[in-house]
This record gives sequence, C-alpha cells and structure tokens, in this order.
Amino acid sequence: MSGFWTIYSRWFRDRLRSTIFWTVGIALVVVASAAFYPSLSGASGGGLDSGGAAMSSLLGLSQGIDPGSPLGFLWISLYANIYPWMLMALGVALGVAAIAGDEETGALEYLLAKPVTRTTVALARMACAVTILFVVSALSGLSLLVTLPLFDLDEPASTTTAAGASASTTAPDTATAVPTTTAPATTTPATTGATEGVTAVDIFNGTFSSFAVALGLAGIAFALGAATGQKGLALGVASAFGIGGYVLYTLSNMTGSLEPLTWISPWRWYVDDAMLINGLAWDVALPFLGALVGFVAGWLLFLRRDLQNP
Amino acid sequence: MDVVIQTEGLTKRWGALTAVDHLDLQIAPGECYAFLGRNGAGKSTTARMLLDFIRPTEGTMRVLGGTGSDPAVRARIGYLPGDLNLPRAMTGADAIAYFGGLEQRRRAIDPEPLIERFGLQPHRPFRELSTGNRRKVGLVLAFMANPELLILDEPTSGLDPLLQEAFRDLLAERKAAGATIWLTSHVMAEVERVADRVGLVRDGKLARELTMAELRHQATGQIRLSFPAPVDPHELRTVAHVTRAEAEARDVVVAVDGPVTDLLERAAELGVTGIETEQRDLDDIFLEMYEAGGTST
Repeated sequence: MSGFWTIYSRWFRDRLRSTIFWTVGIALVVVASAAFYPSLSGASGGGLDSGGAAMSSLLGLSQGIDPGSPLGFLWISLYANIYPWMLMALGVALGVAAIAGDEETGALEYLLAKPVTRTTVALARMACAVTILFVVSALSGLSLLVTLPLFDLDEPASTTTAAGASASTTAPDTATAVPTTTAPATTTPATTGATEGVTAVDIFNGTFSSFAVALGLAGIAFALGAATGQKGLALGVASAFGIGGYVLYTLSNMTGSLEPLTWISPWRWYVDDAMLINGLAWDVALPFLGALVGFVAGWLLFLRRDLQNP
Repeated sequence: MDVVIQTEGLTKRWGALTAVDHLDLQIAPGECYAFLGRNGAGKSTTARMLLDFIRPTEGTMRVLGGTGSDPAVRARIGYLPGDLNLPRAMTGADAIAYFGGLEQRRRAIDPEPLIERFGLQPHRPFRELSTGNRRKVGLVLAFMANPELLILDEPTSGLDPLLQEAFRDLLAERKAAGATIWLTSHVMAEVERVADRVGLVRDGKLARELTMAELRHQATGQIRLSFPAPVDPHELRTVAHVTRAEAEARDVVVAVDGPVTDLLERAAELGVTGIETEQRDLDDIFLEMYEAGGTST
C-alpha cells in the first residue's frame, strides 16, 4: 500500500478550498433555514394542511409528522430535502472526481506511471472522499447544533410557537397565525413525541442518516467513474439516480401507481425512516453497504480496464 | 538482462481500428531507440502499453525483466507523456515533492540541477504554464529519480532550440551513465544526435528498423555535378557505386554508395565544371522511407 498517505493527503489538499466552500455554503443554508423557525412554526402547520397529500408527500410528511414542532420543522425545511440534496451533490462530485475526474485530462495516467498500484489510488481517493463528506456533514450538523438556541429550536413546541406568535404580532397575517398556534399543541399526542426541543442526539441522527444516503450515492458515482473512466457518464447517471429517485418516490406517494419501482430510490429508504425524528434504525447500514459494494465493484472493474485516452 | 524492452506480436485494437499491429521490438541495455512515425502511427499507444495504462489485445511484452503492471518495474522507469497534465493548482515544486514522494528511491532524488538546467520556474501553478514550461516540468519529473529506463513521448515538442539542445545534452549524459532510452518523435533530425537505432512505425506496423550509422550512410553520398551543356544522366548511372543519377537542368545529381573515384573520372571525361557534395536532409530520407515502408514490408 505504498503511497497511500501521499495520495490521500495530496487529494485532500487539492480539495481543501472547495471543501471549505462546501462547508460554509451548507452551514449557511442550514442556519438560515433554522432561522425561519420562530416566525414560521405557527403558520406552517396550517399552510401545509391546506396543501393536501401531494404537498405532504413532497415534504416527507406522510407519517403524521407535525410540521409545527421543532423537529418537524427541521425535517420539512432541511432534512427531508435540501440538506441531503446538498450532501448528495457533494458525494456525487467526490465519487466522480476520485477516478474519472482526472482520468479524462491524463493526470491519473501520469500518477499511475509512478510506482503505485491502481488499488492504492482507488483506496486512497475513496477514503479521502469519505473523509471530506464526513467533515462537511459533521461541521454543518455542528453549525446547526450550536445555533439551535438562537432560534428557540431547543425548546418544546408549545412555548416556541407561543413565542413565535407573540413575536409576529406586527406581521400582516397574525390573524391566520393565531388559530394555528393551538394546532400543534392539540395534535402532539398523535405524533411521535416530536414536540420536545431538538437535542444533540436528534441532530446527530438526522445528520448521520443524511451523510449515509450521500455516501451511498458517492459509492454509485465512484463505481460508474472507476468502471468507465467517463466523468460525464458517471456524473449524469449518479445525479439522475438521486434526482430521479426523488421524483419517483414523491410521485409514487401521490399516485400510488409506481410503488413497486420505488425500492431503487434512496429517498424511499431515507424519507420513510425519517431518522431525524424516529431515531437511527438498523437499516442506516444499508447505504454504507451500498457504498462498499459500489467501491468494490468500481475498484475491480478499474483494475481490469484500459485507461481512457487523454 | 539482455533486453530492456521486448515485445512479440504486440497488438492493440479498438473495434475496427488497429492502433498497433504485431509489433516486435528488442531494446538492449544502454541503447537509445527512437520510435519514429507520423501522428496516429501508434507511437503513444505503444508507450501506454509498456506502462500498463492499456492492455494489449494480442502479443506479449517484457519491460526491465517484468511488466509495466508491477510498481517495482515502474519505479525504475522515468516517463514523459506526450501531453503532461497535472492538477491545475499544482506548482512545479508541488509536483516534484508529490511525485518524488511516491518514488521508491525518493532519497536519491535531486531535482535542483535539472530545475536550473531547464530554467523551470517552480512556484507557478500548472494552469499558468505555457506548453514549453509544462514540458520542462515533465522533463524534470522524468529525469529526477535517475531512472534506468526512460520512456519519452515526443520529448522535444514545444521546447525552443536552446532547450532542445539542453535536453539532448542531458540525454547523452544519461545514456553515458548506462540508462536505456525509448523515445518517440515525428522528426528525424530531432533524434539524429541521440539515437543509436531508429524504428519507423506506420499504421501501427514496424515498417523499417535501422541503425543511425545506416541512416547517416544514406544521408551522405549525394553529389551535384555541373556541366556546360546538358548531359544524359544514363552516362553516369552505369559508373561503379553510383546508385542514382537524375538530371536537373544542366546539373546531374548523383547518389553514390562507395568510393567516388570512378565517378569523378567519368565526370572529368564529360567536361564537368563544378562539383558540390550535398548532405541529404534526414527528414527527406525519413519521408522517402516512410512512403516506401507501406509497400516494401
């Protein structure tokens, strides 16, 4: 495994700047979304109710998750969509870059003229991709954790929504907001105890499951890139898998007609389990397994094929 | 080890395209072998097979007693690709540290004299470098570990004449120190000074192989004879050692393979007024052979 750390650290260094940008970008989106909680927590419940089943499905609210509670709010505004989207995009970018990214330019070929094996390069690059994805997930999750108290997300829903209502007395839609402030309080017994304030464990569960699904997609992107050496193909197919999976899953929830196909969608697994709210389940291991299969398949095919002509 | 590079029936096909076609090569230790051919003749494909970037469709090859797939073999090879590409933000110094760090003999690496020799600016990022400057980075990287075998793909393309000269000096030094060199080029004159043997490759086939001595022999021996009135070149074709005689206005251009005594005697009889020896351009010979190579083999 000669050269592993040299390749690993060089690849990390080459991506340090973009990793910082990704971290800051995702952290900003996370914190900015959380900042809407005090003003929206009361109103959102009513607004979503009127959106009907389609809207609830789009936001992953099929299990009676209360959107007015702190956890429910984080779920619909971040963890059921934007947050895993961003991590999945990063995962795909890293998975593609690992092998196919610099193969098209000839830079990979030059590295392989040195006394290192293809196995070492594949392992070091994949390990580094996992590290970067982990660091960005952890830091963005941490940024949410430390800013929770600023937006009252660490407090139970009843006090939070009251505060939200009183804070929004100057808002033009106070009249519509007031009746809904009672709604979360009355529906809480039916939901999964989500009216409690958000804890560090909740953030960990949500962030870890998002990291997991992004890692699974990174594994697919790696496999495609390593097997073909074609950046465009790997990027296209892996992205389509993430985006198409989302569309398939949400459409299937609305119409019920494509349900048998949704098993290939990473979103079925992710949204149905809603680990931010329900806690980690055993099947959080599935995307890790998927990533491992993707890595092994990509690696074996990479060993056997010709490099692309730069 | 009798041979450093040996290929037998080496063939690479992509669908209907045969890039390299039953190539048999034998390169001895310490030899400088120039692989000459036009663009797309299969030179780079051969280099890429030697280094295990791509696998042959047919045939076998041995490099330094093993194969290019073995990192221990690649540790003894210095490679210059036809078009070096590195991460855009990587500087020459970064590249030297990074690729040097991957070498098995990293403690023996001394890039400084090479940096000085080629006038490399080591702290500029790769994206800002011109073709010639990228070439310099590639040359420093290829030579810095003092490899036993150098595989150089179009090494002088993009270099100015002074740097080409510096490169040839370096190559001669490494050769004197016992290194084996396999290089590709499409310009015969470029390899004239450094190569011991030349292989002409055409459409993936080895059209002709000859030593530099044989090649130089063909380059000399052209004599231009001027006469006061036109002379039938046939008068000279029959003279001993004359291989070719063509009329050009009142001159006759004669190629000789051997002593010129008989030719001069006959020319004097015909009233020659001027004698000029002409060095034939190696590239002309190359092109001539190249064109002939397609049919004669």
